[in-house]
Amino acid sequence: MFAALTSLSVSRAALVRAAEGCTPRFQPMGPVVLLDVAGLSRLFGGPRAIGDELVRAVGDARAAVRVGVAPTATGAVLLALGRPGLTVVATAGELAARLAPLPVRVLADLERVRLEGAVDAAAPPAAPASGWGHPRDTHQAQRTRRPRPACRATPDGSRAARAALEACLHTLHTWGITTVGALAALPAAELSERLGARGRTWHRLARGEDDRPLVAWVAEEAFEAALDLEWPIEGLEPLSFVLARLLEPLADRLERADRGAAVLHTHLHLVSRDVHRRALQLPAPMRDAKTLRTLALLDLESHPPAAAVDRVSVLIEPTPARMLQWTLFERAQPAPEQVSTLLARLTALMGEGHVGSPRLVDAWQPGAFALAAFEPAPPATGPADAAADGRPLTCALRRFRLPVPARVTVADGRPVRLQVDRRGLATGAIVQAAGPWRTSGHWWPAFAGSAAQASTAAAGTSPAAQASTAAAGWDRDEWDVVVAGGVAYRLSVERAVGQWFIEGIVD
Amino acid sequence: MATKAALEALLRDRKLDRTLIGHLSAASADEAGSPLALPALDARLLGGLPRGQLSEIAGAASTGRTSLAWAWLSAATRRGESAALIDTFDRFDPASGAAAGIELTRLLWVRGQAISKTGAAVDPAWLPGVRMVSGPGTLVERAVDRALKALNLVLQAGVCTAVVLDLADVPLAGLRRIPASTWLRVQRLLEGGDAACVLLVPLPVARSAGGVTMLTGVSDALAGGVRWAGSHDRARRLAGVSIAARLVSPRRTLCGDVGLEARVDPSI
Repeated sequence: MFAALTSLSVSRAALVRAAEGCTPRFQPMGPVVLLDVAGLSRLFGGPRAIGDELVRAVGDARAAVRVGVAPTATGAVLLALGRPGLTVVATAGELAARLAPLPVRVLADLERVRLEGAVDAAAPPAAPASGWGHPRDTHQAQRTRRPRPACRATPDGSRAARAALEACLHTLHTWGITTVGALAALPAAELSERLGARGRTWHRLARGEDDRPLVAWVAEEAFEAALDLEWPIEGLEPLSFVLARLLEPLADRLERADRGAAVLHTHLHLVSRDVHRRALQLPAPMRDAKTLRTLALLDLESHPPAAAVDRVSVLIEPTPARMLQWTLFERAQPAPEQVSTLLARLTALMGEGHVGSPRLVDAWQPGAFALAAFEPAPPATGPADAAADGRPLTCALRRFRLPVPARVTVADGRPVRLQVDRRGLATGAIVQAAGPWRTSGHWWPAFAGSAAQASTAAAGTSPAAQASTAAAGWDRDEWDVVVAGGVAYRLSVERAVGQWFIEGIVD
Repeated sequence: MATKAALEALLRDRKLDRTLIGHLSAASADEAGSPLALPALDARLLGGLPRGQLSEIAGAASTGRTSLAWAWLSAATRRGESAALIDTFDRFDPASGAAAGIELTRLLWVRGQAISKTGAAVDPAWLPGVRMVSGPGTLVERAVDRALKALNLVLQAGVCTAVVLDLADVPLAGLRRIPASTWLRVQRLLEGGDAACVLLVPLPVARSAGGVTMLTGVSDALAGGVRWAGSHDRARRLAGVSIAARLVSPRRTLCGDVGLEARVDPSI
């Protein structure tokens, strides 16, 4: 026995609370909450008493609550969607008679409800009340934006599916089929021939048959732990033991719930009454306590608290655990735990913005680049490997990130001698030179007198790229030269001031 | 001889054959190679740079040493491997790397300290007439020290199977100050794994027993140097670099010169 609960004037959260008050086995599907009420007869009585109890549980007597109670889940939802008030059907034979007069559009409504339920299931459930003062929507927003493998569960897929529903309804109306009973009376095989899989599905729904089980909703468990310290601690070494004590039980709970950590929040309550908050976004779900502790410690090493710590709180934002399918034909990719730990250690050693994966930016400025997080992609297929063998060897440019000032003697418009103050660079007479190649750019912000345009030009790039492109505009000539020692340099001269620089070495 | 062969067989059974002193067979070397996707060079290297070994590419500026290193990273990343570049002085140009064929998404770039005379923190060692200060205080030595620590972390993690440590711009005095035990530790980390590590240095510094030294710009038989295209002043452009590489690896019975042509990509 199943019950379905919906209302146009009551929020979905209120419906979910009402369902939670009656049974732990319920499934929210868009505006409808489907309940498995099979075991509630001992508590409340027969089907009608269960229905009355559900109406009471919603609490607002004036609310236009629609409740359907039927032997099948499909029947209960169709009754709730298609009939006002409380409708109770005790037997399967009675169900067909009750469903028959409903408009055929209710079948489309049922499919829409299921689509919304699929999107809801793909999106994370509402966060449990945890009392934490951090915005939980950062990670969750990213998860909802992430493309889903099943197109049916995506909003775009939903739009396409809704359009298909309307087309199917239109077809039925042209046939003169306006009620569920009329559709149920049609032969299933011929309906399937004309409408495809949807025709077969709708025929089953019209007869009140279930085509999928109820998937009970499980509230997301809060993974948090805190420890009050008897004595304030300073330094990371004692803190590592505290973090280990907090994280190990949490990792066990994550494993039992088949969840991984997506974001690790560490709150250190200081003796100065301040709270040192750190949020660590993990590149992949992980639940290894040792890895989590190492990452948290490395993060705190880079951002240490300002005072001694007297309370440590840890909160983990869970996400479905990662499933990995190994293959015999491709090189195994490094585990995300290894990559994260390595990047954290390297960042602690080299500093922020010095570790990552380079990216080219859509800019003409020489040396412009962006630095993205290092996330090794899965290996490419065979043809790419084959193409690599025929690739010609290409000269490398060793670029001086801070160009080296140079003194260049120019004769007949061409550089003839190079001198620098820095040791280790070959200088002397220039034996060959090619150029000049003139480039300029990023002069428009000054020209327009608007700093806003500068920020617009740099928008859409990473901070590193912005740092490299948001510099002042450039207007220069470039030369490729070879000095007497055989070293090939790329020189540039700033046209506004006439200053020469060594941009790099061709090697 | 029979006793020696039996002993060697016992060591191989216990996977201790790396301790054997002798020449590696061509077959075993081929299995452990990390190719550069340059057929002429790979053929001489018996399949590529040896995995689990420390190799080096040594040469002066503009002799093609960096081009060879980028070619190796390109081949590794295109095979689907993850590569790492420990860039001691932040000299890597991503556009140049992409032109060389490096798949940047698979490259872990560890950027060191960009050192220039125009920087706020001027290293006295780089100023003319000033003696290099001994001890760990100089900017150069700190940068080298950090790069070595980064190399240690990358090799320990085992995430990347092609690792380049760029020490090409480190002054010779700074290179000599690196203790020899450093390279022994690096070799120890590499042993038994499938990662290969290459040092990019101005002069030969270190390689493991099974590693390869590629010396660029030292061959008398092959003409190396910069190539130009166009005869007229206004039509001339830098066409590329002719690389004369000498391979040295006594244990792998590698020795000989290889000539390669590197072209300048218009995008750099």
